Amino acid sequence: MIKIQKEDFNSDEEIHNIKKIHSNVGAVNSFIGYVRDNNNNENVQSINIEVYEDMAHRQLQKIINEANTKWKLIDCLIIHRYGKLRVNNKIVLVTCFSEHRKDSFESCNYIMDYLKKDAPFWKKEFYNNKSEWLSNSK
Amino acid sequence: MKIIYFAWIKDITNFPEELLDPNEIKNLDSLKKYIVSKYPDLKKHLDQKILRFAVNQEYIVENIDLKKNDEIAVFPPVSGG
Repeated sequence: MIKIQKEDFNSDEEIHNIKKIHSNVGAVNSFIGYVRDNNNNENVQSINIEVYEDMAHRQLQKIINEANTKWKLIDCLIIHRYGKLRVNNKIVLVTCFSEHRKDSFESCNYIMDYLKKDAPFWKKEFYNNKSEWLSNSK
Repeated sequence: MKIIYFAWIKDITNFPEELLDPNEIKNLDSLKKYIVSKYPDLKKHLDQKILRFAVNQEYIVENIDLKKNDEIAVFPPVSGG
């Protein structure tokens, strides 16, 4: 399941809502990305995330499909927020559900790597007196 | 056809999107020529291969032909996650 949204989310509820429909799941691995208060030696006040939503859905689904060819996954959840976010706010959740831990651990890492490389989201960070667009390729 | 701009590219074009004449823009190379002639500040980013192009939500690097209902996106390297 892929969700691209402005709103915050409850990680436990989101994970539980998927887990409860799969009684064969024995391993769940999650990554949560947060807005932190410091980047490039600047005090971060907030960030704004822009998204190309149609393409983001398509690219994230492709990444999930690719992960499914490499690991034995039962389900996968990606939530990525956009809009204005403040320090300590959640940005992204990736959760992989499998029978065994290796599949969920490794696929979660893989999905995050490719999300950061291919998914069309852009962060603009706001500091005390200026702002800057970020690039994951830097 | 429609072209849409994201992130700091939009700061250069001053428009989030525009409609192009498909009779004048036949392929991706001609679209690149069009945007750098209209927005000269994009040229150095194109030359440095910083600009990314997507056609109908798929990354495109080769010079494909463009069709009248295509949606072309121009954007910088992504920074999600």
